[in-house]
Amino acid sequence: MRYAEPETVEAALSALSTHEDARCLAGGASLVAMMNAGRIGPGMLVSLHRIPELSTITETGDGLWLGAMCTHRTVAADARLRGAMAAVREAAAWLAHPAIRNMATLGGSVGLADPHTEIPVALVAASARVEVAGPGSRRVVPVESLFVDSYRTSLQRGELVTRVFLPRGEDGAVGHHLRFSRVAADYPTVSISLVLAMDGDRCRQVRVVVGSCGPVPLHVDAADQRLVGTRLEAEDVAEAGGLLARAAAPIDDVRGSAEYRRMLIPRLLGRALSQARERAHV
Amino acid sequence: MSSHAKPGPIPEPVGEVLGQSVPKPDAREKVTGRAVYTDDLRVPGMLHGALLGSPHPHARILSYDTSRARALPGVRAVLTAEDLPPNDIGAVIKDQPLLARGKVRYAGEPVAAVAAVDLPTARRALELIDIRYEVLPAVFDAEEALRPDAPGIHAPRGTAHPNAASYIRLVEGEPDPAWAQCDVIIEDVYETPAQQHIYLEPCSTLAEVDPDSGKITLHTSTQTAFRVQAITAEALGVPMSRVRVLVPRVGGAFGGKVESTNQPITAALALAAGAPVRLTFSRTDDIRMMRSRHAARIHMRTGATRDGRILARQVRIHFDTGAYADDGPFVANIGSYFARGPYRIPHVDVECWCVYTNKLRAGAFRGFGNPQIHFASEVQVDRVAEAIGMDPIELRLRNALETGEKWLGGAPVESGTLRACLERAREVSDWHRRRERPPAAPGKRRGIGVAAVSHVSGLLGSSATVRLNEDGTVTVNTGAVDTGQGSDVALAQVAAGALGLSLEQLNFSRPDTDTSPYDWCSGGTRTTFTVGRVITQACEQVREQLFEHASAILQRPVRQLELRPGGFVGVRGEPGASVSFGAIAGRALYVEGGPIIASARYLFPAWQLDTRRTQVEGLPFMGNGFFVFAAQVAEVEVDELTGHVEVLEAWSVHDVGRAINPAATEGQVQGGFVQGLGYALTEELVWKDGHLVNPTMGGYKVPGVLDVPAAIHAVLLEHPFGPGPFGAKGIGEVGLVGVAPAICNAIRHATGANVRRIPATGERVLRALMAREEGGAKASDA
Ligand SMILES: Cc1cc2nc3c(=O)[nH]c(=O)nc-3n(C[C@H](O)[C@H](O)[C@H](O)COP(=O)(O)OP(=O)(O)OC[C@H]3O[C@@H](n4cnc5c(N)ncnc54)[C@H](O)[C@@H]3O)c2cc1C
Repeated sequence: MRYAEPETVEAALSALSTHEDARCLAGGASLVAMMNAGRIGPGMLVSLHRIPELSTITETGDGLWLGAMCTHRTVAADARLRGAMAAVREAAAWLAHPAIRNMATLGGSVGLADPHTEIPVALVAASARVEVAGPGSRRVVPVESLFVDSYRTSLQRGELVTRVFLPRGEDGAVGHHLRFSRVAADYPTVSISLVLAMDGDRCRQVRVVVGSCGPVPLHVDAADQRLVGTRLEAEDVAEAGGLLARAAAPIDDVRGSAEYRRMLIPRLLGRALSQARERAHV
Repeated sequence: MSSHAKPGPIPEPVGEVLGQSVPKPDAREKVTGRAVYTDDLRVPGMLHGALLGSPHPHARILSYDTSRARALPGVRAVLTAEDLPPNDIGAVIKDQPLLARGKVRYAGEPVAAVAAVDLPTARRALELIDIRYEVLPAVFDAEEALRPDAPGIHAPRGTAHPNAASYIRLVEGEPDPAWAQCDVIIEDVYETPAQQHIYLEPCSTLAEVDPDSGKITLHTSTQTAFRVQAITAEALGVPMSRVRVLVPRVGGAFGGKVESTNQPITAALALAAGAPVRLTFSRTDDIRMMRSRHAARIHMRTGATRDGRILARQVRIHFDTGAYADDGPFVANIGSYFARGPYRIPHVDVECWCVYTNKLRAGAFRGFGNPQIHFASEVQVDRVAEAIGMDPIELRLRNALETGEKWLGGAPVESGTLRACLERAREVSDWHRRRERPPAAPGKRRGIGVAAVSHVSGLLGSSATVRLNEDGTVTVNTGAVDTGQGSDVALAQVAAGALGLSLEQLNFSRPDTDTSPYDWCSGGTRTTFTVGRVITQACEQVREQLFEHASAILQRPVRQLELRPGGFVGVRGEPGASVSFGAIAGRALYVEGGPIIASARYLFPAWQLDTRRTQVEGLPFMGNGFFVFAAQVAEVEVDELTGHVEVLEAWSVHDVGRAINPAATEGQVQGGFVQGLGYALTEELVWKDGHLVNPTMGGYKVPGVLDVPAAIHAVLLEHPFGPGPFGAKGIGEVGLVGVAPAICNAIRHATGANVRRIPATGERVLRALMAREEGGAKASDA
């Protein structure tokens, strides 16, 4: 296996292009574990550690750019991730355990596209956009367009994620992430990320995304629409939750049966919404 | 048991060391990472071993072709059953080859072994081994495996119970007519999972063979140097005089490292390769190839009068021992022995099967059959209390065995402190107030539950040697293995307390079968108890020798002498008159008498079941059994939306006889509680079609720091009694035994849901809650 530690994005791209089976190495939390388990055997690893650009955070008028190499710990500690952006901060704060949060990165979570994880879920809820660098060009795409299937992104061979943009969102919008797992450090059985804006006691805008219930983060427009304009009464939540549960494609595994996950979606949606509302009031 | 309850005062320790929370000697090196475990050892020319697991749960082996593996550069040895002596091993039933011979009996069973220059090469070689199998019908459920038409895993199909590894029946009183006198009868079926030990350090062995003498030296992670020596010798057909076992630091064991693990096969690889071989399991191989706790299904019926007298109980237990008996029949003995619980129930009928299935073997695990039966018994007793409208602690107190009463099978309870434990638990947990159900967080329901707990301490043989060094310090040799539980410090404190020495004046040696006196195993809640006892016996002999010399030196009769802290013999009532151990050693070594040394031995006496009182089948005697008691209380919050259970606070009250090292004792209690919490709520090996679904740390859920209550109150009562050192009673296992029922009783108190199957995962609890909401209490079972 070959190994490179380029110092610029351009050098990384050219390193990636030299080998059929090259992969970016970010925190290595998942990649190295999969290599140790013999599940993958990349021909080349291109470490992103020495590229300063990938660890920068820049604030703009309408949001925050987070470098792909920002660790979950960095994201969780950044107080600027307020309002809608808080969904991502909360997801990063409680996933796995400190050792993983210290190593694993935002870009790695996007590149991995593991359906059991929750950073992708929070990014979709927060309407994140991703900057992708490829040979000779960079483009910015909505994060959900990257997640095409379980462990599969729309990134082309030789491309990498350089940074992620989190929009500040509407005035008064709050982001919230709710994870439910069998033990605290486990991958979620179900996670729910949402961004909510209220007008008095009515929902002005909402974006709900469900994790661990299908190959990619689950977002159903009709479910959002079912909630907008309502007072988020039990019936509204149950119907919106029902729409999500019907659209979900969960699997049976040691974290819970598919049926249990479907049951949890409306239940946790209610809890996530009321927790977000409490936050909206303070 | 009465045979060794020689009435006599419990001695008082000399000096202050016994009873102090001194740190474990290995604590610092473990925290800083300096501790040397087996996998840290390397020797010149060392090879790496790996095992190939069977792809089928049950199949005949038709042929092997190892030629491609042997041809791989770097491979030094490839073994299958054809290369090994035909010696089966097993603690009770010798049913187990080192590598599958003739057929495989569970998926993952080792079928071939490789030693190579490095681990990747060894693993690649495994992939090059071709084995042809003929798949056989398999059976995965213990009750199904008992049917005459079930595939025979060891015996041929068609015998009455083709897969029974053992059967026990214990009957007392007249259960049949007794039911008519009961005002309430509760009947349920309880299921408990195959829990895995998840010791932090996977099994590991380094084997070296002396080319001239052929002597095999094993460094290994084990609970027992001497059983490893015996089993390795037996399996390989060499005399024990040609096998030496040493034990580096051990990273936990919990019963998973009793008997042998991978030592015999590693030794076989070293012999075949003519070079040292180290074999450390990956976590996945460790889970697939070693052992688990017995899954159990328990049918139980209990009847009581309205005023809270438990009159009758009927129990049918099926222990699933997997493909090999291992310690299964012994586990079944303990399970049956505790089926009546610590209660005086006059009419009892217990039937217990230990059954082969095509799954991973089940064996020893902290609690040894007792957590299973306690789960059923303590949940059912709580339901009896509910049915007659009595407080659960009150019902237990009314039926608790007291000192002098008899256990199932007739053994006397010599120190019946269950009442004291329950009463203290009621007080420290503020039971009555919490039982009123204080308000829970929104969306949560809160409840509190209790379990009355009993276990046994001590079995089999131990020995110790104590000798005086020239400078008056003392060396203690035993074969005891400290697996992390802290016996090294506790046993040193016992010696210190027996001779009045400081820990600096004591050299406590580590196990080495070439030089240590025999000890059976660090298991069965016996190490501090049994080895501690022989240390006090040997120290007593050393004291006699010291006094003989001191009598001559001080010119006083022996009866006027006393031990004084710091290594002195003094004259009672004369503070100025004393002689140091060093001066005595000088006299003994160079003037008169010879070296001061003593050895002592002890075999824990087995209890012959009283057949006048109990109709007995299959269990003539119990090998272990000084009874110890505890009461465990847990407060939980149940999430109405998810069914998830959080334990908020816990109280574990134990009569430890005497706390030799209180902090280490509390550590055992708290560790036991956490492992019990995993058993109650999260831990379970899962099979699909005979294949393990979750043999990884990602798939097998152990609780982490955030899943465990901040406050696990370990409350130590000290009622010194019995054969242990200074009246100490065992504590290693009992802390786990009652946790699952205490938690499940709290779940029922919080929600009304009757949890009959553990682990009580969120999913199971939620289903029980939903059923209860829909159909009333009748349908609320999980
Ligand atoms: C024990 C454990 C528990 C976990 N629990 C959770 C959890 O509860 N919730 C959760 O959300 N996540 C969880 N994770 C996942 C964790 O968040 C991911 O491991 C992590 O985000 C991957 O990041 P990394 O930096 O370590 O990536 P790596 O492991 O280095 O890489 C992962 C993949 O992404 C690719 N990649 C990395 N960087 C880029 C880039 N900039 N552009 C394109 N591709 C890239 C790599 O080539 C590789 O294919 C857990 C992981 C582990 C190991």
